[in-house]
Amino acid sequence: MLFNSIDFAIFLPIVFILYWFVTYKSLKLQNLLIVISSFVFYGWWDWRFLILMILSASVDFFVGILLINQFNKKKRLLLLLCSIVANLGILAFFKYFNFFVDNFISVFSFFGVAFNPISLKIVLPVGISFYTFQALSYTIDVYRKKLEPTKSIVNFFAFLSFFPQLVAGPIERATNLLPQFYVKRTFDYSKAVDGMRQILWGLFKKIVIADSCSTYVNMIFDNSHQLSGSTLVIGAFLFAFQIYGDFSGYSDIAIGTARLFGFLIMRNFAFPYFSRDMAEFWRRWHISLSTWFRDYLYFPLGGSRGNSWMKVRNIIVIFVVSGFWHGANWTFIAWGALNALYFLPLLLMNKNRQNLEIVAHGKIFPTVKEIFNMSVTFGLTLLAWVFFRAKSISQALDYLSGIFSRSLFTYPEIRPRYVLILVIIFIVIEWIGRENQYGIQKTGLTWNRPFRLLFYYVLILFILYFAGEEKEFIYFQF
Amino acid sequence: MKKFILKFLIFFFLVCLSFFPIDYFISYHLKKSKCYLIGEYGVWNDIYSGSINADILIFGSSRARSHICSKILEDSLNRSVYNLGIEGQNFWLQYLRYKEYLKKNKCPKFIIISIDLWMLDKRTDLYNYQQFLPYMLFNKNIFDYTSSYDGFSFFEYFFPMVRYIGEREAISEAFKNIVYPSVDTLHREKGYYAKEMAWNDDFDKAKASLRYWESKPDSATVVLFNKFLLDCKEKNIGVVFVYTPEYIEGQKFTKNRADIISYFEDISKDEGLSFLDYSADEMSKDRNNFINVSHLTRSKTLVFSRKFVSDLKRHNEITGIDNSN
Repeated sequence: MLFNSIDFAIFLPIVFILYWFVTYKSLKLQNLLIVISSFVFYGWWDWRFLILMILSASVDFFVGILLINQFNKKKRLLLLLCSIVANLGILAFFKYFNFFVDNFISVFSFFGVAFNPISLKIVLPVGISFYTFQALSYTIDVYRKKLEPTKSIVNFFAFLSFFPQLVAGPIERATNLLPQFYVKRTFDYSKAVDGMRQILWGLFKKIVIADSCSTYVNMIFDNSHQLSGSTLVIGAFLFAFQIYGDFSGYSDIAIGTARLFGFLIMRNFAFPYFSRDMAEFWRRWHISLSTWFRDYLYFPLGGSRGNSWMKVRNIIVIFVVSGFWHGANWTFIAWGALNALYFLPLLLMNKNRQNLEIVAHGKIFPTVKEIFNMSVTFGLTLLAWVFFRAKSISQALDYLSGIFSRSLFTYPEIRPRYVLILVIIFIVIEWIGRENQYGIQKTGLTWNRPFRLLFYYVLILFILYFAGEEKEFIYFQF
Repeated sequence: MKKFILKFLIFFFLVCLSFFPIDYFISYHLKKSKCYLIGEYGVWNDIYSGSINADILIFGSSRARSHICSKILEDSLNRSVYNLGIEGQNFWLQYLRYKEYLKKNKCPKFIIISIDLWMLDKRTDLYNYQQFLPYMLFNKNIFDYTSSYDGFSFFEYFFPMVRYIGEREAISEAFKNIVYPSVDTLHREKGYYAKEMAWNDDFDKAKASLRYWESKPDSATVVLFNKFLLDCKEKNIGVVFVYTPEYIEGQKFTKNRADIISYFEDISKDEGLSFLDYSADEMSKDRNNFINVSHLTRSKTLVFSRKFVSDLKRHNEITGIDNSN
């Protein structure tokens, strides 16, 4: 079920009413309702995906149970490995099988050894990378004794399948979300209103910004070989806002929906395009994944401790793995590697933690230096996004060589004026709200109610105008 | 909790309430479009304003719309004529036009039905669905005859604005009619409109992708067609079938063409109706007369219309109309 669908618009109020009016008196019933509604939400795509998720979740639940009374270090490690192998095995099969087979064949054929290709028609289950990582966070935290494992399978399934963030995150930590299922949730008016506002903003980002950009992005990337450099820059620019509007829009809807049910889930985006360097960008982009890799991969590898070579190795590993997490294609690996290259100089010069606060904090306008830094950072991300969006490495390289050609200074063939105006309005709103959790969290709160409601109303009209065909969120494919 | 739900419902209610005037505003201006959707709005406007009241109506698809010039028929027959041909639609939606026409206009004395090979087939997609947008809210006939298509959901017929969600092109068209009303130049002359164009490659493309094409009449549409003929008989409306020129090479492309034509010939014999078939006419033999297999160029449609009206007169079809009603 898509957040931007009529199905969800009907589903959400039904679950909300059942949750707060029918099952309100019993915590167990509330959690059970969350499990059932999450299964309905997920099974709406394909009920067979549900079996896979239940299988994966069951392994982690029972591993957690077995870890409770297991004090033998080796056996504990063995149990952890069982969980990791099961989760990553499923992920590897469904997401990476064909990729590995194809590359295996390519390598051997390069050396003159021919194989009959085995290519399976594997359907990638929606959101598999997200819930796999969420499940892994549970087992690893239990193993590390950071978290008491739950003995309730309902609570565990509620945690793992919680529908607002099931298919595209934020990838929650068990230490944050699971305990929220143990305590009675009380309805909080201001949080619910805030949740609704965040949902509205998320829908605006997705439907008005991302989907509008996508039309031109597809047009430009599909015909990149015959377009001028200036048009290709527009394509990359719009893709940057498509992916941001799409993914952060999803996260906003997820966080807002969770708030309606009394849950607080982690922030996933913090105005990344206002970053002044790449390190700041990565603290603000897809926070739940970045911190996941930091906690469960980067730190165990040694983090920023050790000699320079170790630091370089660790950074390259997490960025490349992070890229590969996004999809079984060399383009994602290249995207990750390129970001590692961007990041490394800052780390080696010890400048990776110099911009911790949001830009121009407490001020209206940034300084010239800040504008310059933001522009450079945005420009670098733009180049990296080309790899992310391209179908192959060669297309990405052609696209980049097209940008850096003489035609960069020609008049673009495709001029999406209204989309560019929308993006500029969007940037202005985000800039105004950059010190808050999301763009419009405080916008209009000091205004008279009629003006505030009018603002929301205008957003709704925009959403209705740009709605129509339900376009899937980009990150569903990951 | 109650406060939240109450406030949400009030806001929701006010938003929904505001949809009525916005819906009216968009529909009002969208109806003014002349170019958009080959001028279908102009025809629907004439129908709903009750200003047609023609003696002779022409029904059919785009072939009817572009092959039979109302003005030529009018001048020659000295009777009011209106062409209700509807682009890309089979009889199911041609009948909807008939029903809507009768709601607001007086009963015609004569109906010319332009036959198509696929006229009795069932389309699943609602081609040019935007033509219904300004008229469909709370319109039972449109609901009855379009809801079986993959077009609109139930809510779109009975809740304001829902059908305009995401209809950027139609909304932009409505706004264009406010800002640049004079840009619209296409005018369907009493429903007739044809284009002067050179032969295009539609036929070559079709031949390249398909070996042949086969008409598959739909039983419900056949029943509807018979119901229509019966209704005409009861209302004393004269009916004539016409198969307007079709490029001869293209005729071979339809596998069961002979069966479909003979089906209409049988009906015309059974019901005592005339069937003027121009399939083998000289006009059908020259590719230069056509834009594609099914459509003549504008200049040739005028030639055809003159020929058609003289044939009608020769067959004493129209001249025999009873003038009393």
